[in-house]
Amino acid sequence: MTPFLVSDKWYDIRDLGNLSRALLDAADKVLPGGVVYVLAALIGFVASFLLFVLPSQLIIGVYGERRIIGRMQSRLGPNRVGPFGLLQPIADAIKLIQKEALTPAQADRVVMYIAPIIFVMPAVLLWAVIPFGENMVIADIPVSLMYFLAVSALPVIATFMAGWSSNNKYSLFGAMRIVSMAISYESPLVLALLGAVVMSGTISLSGMVAWADQYTIWMVFVQPLALVIYFICVSAELNRTPVDIAEAESEIVAGYLTEYSGMKWGLFYGMDIGYALAASGFAATVFLGGWTLFGLEKWVPGWMIFIGKTHLFYFLFIWTRGTLPRLRADQLMAFAWKFLLPLGVFNLLIVSTERMLWAEQDYAKGLIYVFALVNIVLSVGLVYAWARFNGYRPERSPTRPRLVKQAGGYIPVGERP
Amino acid sequence: MDGFGVSLAFWVLAAITLVAAAGVMVSRNLLHAVLFLILTFVGVAGFFVLLSADFIAMAQVIIYVGAIAVLVLFAVLLTPRASRDNGETRWALPGMLLAVCLAAIFLFVIHDTAWKTRDGVPQGLSASDLGTALLTTWVVPFEIASVLLTAALVGAIMLTRSPEEEAEDALA
Amino acid sequence: MTGIIKSEPFVINIGPQHPSTHGVFRIKATVDGEKVIDAEMVMGYLHRSMEKLAEERTYTQNIPFTDRTDYLSSMSNNLGYCLAVEKLAGIEVPPRGNAIRVIMAELQRLASHCMAVGAFANDTGAWQTPVMWAFREREKILDIFEVTSGARLTCNYMRIGGVAFDLRPEFEPMVRRILRDFPPFIDEMEGLLSENEIFIARTRGIGVLTPEMAINSSLSGPMLRGSGIAWDIRKADPYCGYEQYDFDIPIGYNGDSYDRFIVRLEEMRQSLKIIEQALDGLPGGPFRTEVPLALRPPKGEAYARIESPRGELGYYLVSDEGPSPYRFHIRPPSFINLSALKEMTVGGTVADAIVVLGSIDIVVGEIDR
Repeated sequence: MTPFLVSDKWYDIRDLGNLSRALLDAADKVLPGGVVYVLAALIGFVASFLLFVLPSQLIIGVYGERRIIGRMQSRLGPNRVGPFGLLQPIADAIKLIQKEALTPAQADRVVMYIAPIIFVMPAVLLWAVIPFGENMVIADIPVSLMYFLAVSALPVIATFMAGWSSNNKYSLFGAMRIVSMAISYESPLVLALLGAVVMSGTISLSGMVAWADQYTIWMVFVQPLALVIYFICVSAELNRTPVDIAEAESEIVAGYLTEYSGMKWGLFYGMDIGYALAASGFAATVFLGGWTLFGLEKWVPGWMIFIGKTHLFYFLFIWTRGTLPRLRADQLMAFAWKFLLPLGVFNLLIVSTERMLWAEQDYAKGLIYVFALVNIVLSVGLVYAWARFNGYRPERSPTRPRLVKQAGGYIPVGERP
Repeated sequence: MDGFGVSLAFWVLAAITLVAAAGVMVSRNLLHAVLFLILTFVGVAGFFVLLSADFIAMAQVIIYVGAIAVLVLFAVLLTPRASRDNGETRWALPGMLLAVCLAAIFLFVIHDTAWKTRDGVPQGLSASDLGTALLTTWVVPFEIASVLLTAALVGAIMLTRSPEEEAEDALA
Repeated sequence: MTGIIKSEPFVINIGPQHPSTHGVFRIKATVDGEKVIDAEMVMGYLHRSMEKLAEERTYTQNIPFTDRTDYLSSMSNNLGYCLAVEKLAGIEVPPRGNAIRVIMAELQRLASHCMAVGAFANDTGAWQTPVMWAFREREKILDIFEVTSGARLTCNYMRIGGVAFDLRPEFEPMVRRILRDFPPFIDEMEGLLSENEIFIARTRGIGVLTPEMAINSSLSGPMLRGSGIAWDIRKADPYCGYEQYDFDIPIGYNGDSYDRFIVRLEEMRQSLKIIEQALDGLPGGPFRTEVPLALRPPKGEAYARIESPRGELGYYLVSDEGPSPYRFHIRPPSFINLSALKEMTVGGTVADAIVVLGSIDIVVGEIDR
């Protein structure tokens, strides 16, 4: 591991791990037995709430999303509750808690109860492996990337449980669609992440950040196609528009969520955003360089940089949600299998070749910039060529209808009106 | 494997896994059986973590829970009479006989094997070692497995084509 | 080795409470997997027996009823009804009344198409952004209606023999502002949706209506024009002085939902053209001929039709020399246009059925009356 220029002092806020460690060591001398663990849990809870839950999930997530989408639709978002509407998520949470959570009589109560709990798991578990700063990672396991993939398999099960147990045809419809779509998009996701793994040579997230810092280049420049594929696939896993057929409001009335109300629905909704933020954090670590910013982390705390990058990526999610219409289910799956999967395979071929060439040059630093340039050009060309190969021609200008002056009969296409 | 935490984790995981496996057999609702199966998979992944084989643990969750369990769920969904009671079957007696025979074989094997124990932390298997092994020493079985999976995929697609698509293909 | 794995078809109800059925309207769709194999429409949830109620009221008292059939284009409804009564009773409308009627009808067409286009984009899943933009423009038109007639939605503005009130002095600047602000909005909608690959993939080739099918089902309006048939009642059977205005009829290419969408966008442009010409050449003089309060038209029957934003809206009146009509029948375009729904949805998926329904642009008040 390359040494990062972060000092070891306890007052260095760039690495809050030092501060908490010093505090806990001091407390261990004073407090009896294992009470210090309670204190550690308390500190962790407070710190994570203040640093990450409050700004990320509540403010940027719930409030920011609704505000930004409101502005995109030329209307104000929530701005009544509290100053600038900042207490809106709290008001939502209180409302949902005091609501009666109806369960249909014929529904499977136990499974319906457990489904939101399993759905919450990824959003919570994922933050355990993401490095926020120098020593600020809760569990530095050497296979963090695969941990992300493992954890992202859980919401699929949860949505299926939710859809099946509601004893409702619409919910079952939604469950069927979500499961088939999620597994279609898992393969390109793995391939995209595999490109990043091959280039950096490590599966752990701390390793990725170290790689980005060592070669002072972000993975996104070396692997732009991987980021695009990751973005699309993660949108699919998260059920966000343009791929949110599972809860397509205007079609099957909330799909697998139809029978959920009260805080159970609140958990689904909240974790929609929470998981999106976790996936944004993950992307920020792998592709956008984590908590390093080309050496800026010597002055600015790393976790601030990281939170900024996460929210930047999350803004992309919000942006596509407010703009794009939704694809049909079979079009989505055709897109995943016929378009994204081959692109992922091509990407893997290219990156493997480059890694081999790079290894022969003993990992020269300048060569990676050449590869970045080549990759950007190649990615654009590859997407274009593969789309044309699949028979897709873009519309150059908007189609206008034909105009006639006289009312007459049928004018076939091709005849002059 | 020393340490109080490790032992506790082992016993807890063992309890969860065995209870879930029992649940798979005992539950009358087919969907509940599948959910217990998923819990069993997760428990086995926990055992891999205890043995410091983290790559295999994650692979276990990704493949078993993420793909195979979903496959089983799909099968349950498309079965017309999936909501029938899982317990009624004509094969109860032969099943029990088979289970007793298998249990006997397992017990004898476990009793007769000379188990070696080792002290200290087990040697983990890192991803790079696994990858190297798969692609140099064991490359032929690896490729054969890939071909087998592709054949299964193609076969599944062929099996599920509707008549119109087959007619379309015959003309093209 | 086919047909081994089969899923059983089941019946789902799209509606009557559904965010996308544009009102209380129900489709009983038999679905096999994702494909629709049968679609049956169930209507009547909004039946208010207007045709029977109209037989108790005088001709002038029936005008508010017509507001509420197609509540999204009330000016057009009023216009059709007044034309039918004038045809029955042989009343002439002064030129200023005709010009004001034309301006109001075209403004109403703009407002109704805003709603249609926005709701259609919402059906394809564009998550309410185009709807909000369309409604922003529609609000400006509804403000004009409020200034002129006192109400935003159910205007009750046309009278037998002309219009109810004269134009206020604020009217012309507001309309000029709309003429200036609307074309950028239509360009914005085009830029957002017409070139959008996802939108095209959702709507192109969906709900294709062949010209023969369209004519055989007596469709009208943008549905007919989307299939390539150049038929517009404003050109074929002009009323209210439409023959003096210069405008084009947009027609589509293939008859799918995408063509209907672009036809509606282009109709908005043509409406702006008509409004400009009518406003520039607005004659002076009286805006209404006086008719008695309880009009008793001579015995006979009359059928008048107009081009409402949804198609051919016809009113059939039979008089028996009493103060109220003997028979009052509305030929609603949405109801007739729905007869092609089954053809268009069978074979597609449920999502396609929703998109097709959005492209027909129904108003349930009109279907059920």
